[in-house]
Amino acid sequence: MSVAAGGGGESAVDAKQVMALGVVGGLVGIYATPIDPVIGPLLAALGAVCAIIWGADAIARVASYGLGTGVPSIGYMSLAIGVIGVIAGLAGGIFVGTAYAILAPLLGVIIAVILGGVVALLGTKVIGMKIPVLVTCTMELSGAAAISVLGFSAAIAGSYFMPAILASVISTGIIGVLFIMNTMATQHPFNACLGPQENRVRTLKLASATGFMAMAVTGLLGIGSSKAWWVIAVLGAIAWFISMNAFIQASNEEAASVQWSGMWPKEEEH
Amino acid sequence: MDPLLMIAAVTVGGALVGGGVHFIPVGGAPAAIATATGVGTGTAMLAAGSGMTGLITAAAMTGQPLWLILAAGAGGAALMISVTMLVGNWVYVYGVGCVPVSAKVNTDPITKLPQEKYVTPGTEGHGIPTVCFVSGVIGAILGGIGGGLIYWAVYESLVTLPAYIPLIGGSTSIAAAMVAGIFALGVFFINAVIASYNIGGTIEGFHDPKFKRIPKGLLACLVASLVTGLIGVLLLKGGVF
Repeated sequence: MSVAAGGGGESAVDAKQVMALGVVGGLVGIYATPIDPVIGPLLAALGAVCAIIWGADAIARVASYGLGTGVPSIGYMSLAIGVIGVIAGLAGGIFVGTAYAILAPLLGVIIAVILGGVVALLGTKVIGMKIPVLVTCTMELSGAAAISVLGFSAAIAGSYFMPAILASVISTGIIGVLFIMNTMATQHPFNACLGPQENRVRTLKLASATGFMAMAVTGLLGIGSSKAWWVIAVLGAIAWFISMNAFIQASNEEAASVQWSGMWPKEEEH
Repeated sequence: MDPLLMIAAVTVGGALVGGGVHFIPVGGAPAAIATATGVGTGTAMLAAGSGMTGLITAAAMTGQPLWLILAAGAGGAALMISVTMLVGNWVYVYGVGCVPVSAKVNTDPITKLPQEKYVTPGTEGHGIPTVCFVSGVIGAILGGIGGGLIYWAVYESLVTLPAYIPLIGGSTSIAAAMVAGIFALGVFFINAVIASYNIGGTIEGFHDPKFKRIPKGLLACLVASLVTGLIGVLLLKGGVF
C-alpha cells in the first residue's frame, strides 16, 4: 500500500502497442474458442494473459500519479467493473436475439469500458481527483479486466456463450476466484516494481509471469469442464517459469547497475 | 420483480455502501507501522473482508423475508470488521506497545477520555480507540445492509426467470444466487473504492474532519450505482435462453 507511488518518468514501452496486444490478442483468443476443443480454450487463456499484460501497463500509467489509496484499490474496482460488464454483456447478447449472441463478448467489453469511464468521470468531476489520465486509463483497465475474465471463463467453460459459462464458471463459484486472481495478476506487477527506478519492461515481464501463473491455475480450475485443462495448465506453468526467470534476470541486471554506478541522485529521494 | 425496483434497490444499496465506507477507520500504510490511527490496510482490503462476509451471511438467508437478509448482512459485516479491529488493537497494544489514541480530537467523543497527551510526537495517533471502533461498526452495518439489499433485489429478480428456476428441491437457485452474489460484490467494490478516493485514502471515522466530504462521496456513489443498476437490467432481460 503506497500513498505516493513514484513512477519512472518516461515509459520504455509504447502504450498503444500494449493496448493493441491486449485488445486484438484478447478478442481473437476469445473468439477462437469454438474452433477446437483443445486449441480453442488454450487460445482463450492466452488472450486473457494478453489482457492482463495490457491491464498491468494501464495500472502502471495511472498509479504513477499516486492515487492516495494504493495500487490494489483501482485493480479491485476495475475487475469489479469488468465482471459486471461480462455477466451483463453475455446475458444482454441473448436479449438482442439469438443470432446476435456472437456479439455478446464484445458487448460485455464495451459495457465494462463505458462503466469504467462513468466511474472515472465521477472521480474527476464530482470528487475532484487531479489525475489527467484517470479517465482513459480506467477505461482501458476496465476493458482489460473484462477481456481477462472472459478469456479465462471461456477457457474453463470451452465456450463464450452465457449458458455454458453460467453452468461451469458462475454457478460453481469459480467467477469469484477469477475476480480476485485476475485482480492480483493485474495490480501486483506495478505494486511490486514501483519506485524511482521503475522500468516498464521489467514491470511487464513480471506481468507476464503473473498472467501465466493465473493461466496455469485456470487450467486446474477447468478439470471438471474442459478437455484442454492439462494443456492450459502445463503450457501456463512452462511460460510462467520462463517469464519469471526473465523477470529475475532483469531484476538482477538492474540491481547490478545500481551496485556498479551508485544509487540514483539525492534530489529524487523522497 | 419490477426492473425499476431493482434499479432503485441497487442505487440505494450502493449509496449505503459508499456512505458506510466513510465511517470505517482506514489507516493505510501509516497505520501499518503504527504512526496513524486506524486499521493498517487500505479500503479495498477492508471492503473485501467485511463486504464478502456480509454477502455470505446475507446469501445464507436466501428465500427469507427482506429484513432478515438485511440483518444477516449487517451482522456478518459488523462481526468481521469488529474482529479485524479487535485483533488489530491486540497487535498495536501488546505487539507494538502503543496506546489506542486518536489524533483528530482532544477528547474521545464517546468515553470523554483525553487523547492529546498520549499521541507520540511525530505521529498521527495509533491503534483503534473507542470512537473509531464504534464508527467502524456503524460503517460495516450500513455496508452490510447495502450489500444485502443489492443481493436480495438481483436474486429475487433473477429467480423468476425460466433460466434460473431452482433445480434442487425447488427452494434456492444456485445459479441465481451466484449471479446476484457476484453482481452485489462488484457494486460493493466499485462504491468502496469511489468512497476511498473521496476520503483520500485514510480516515478515522465520523469524528474526522474529512468526514465532512461525505455529500460528494454519496453523490458519486449514487450516480455510479444508478448506472450499474441500469446495466443490471440486461441480466433480467437477457435471462431467457
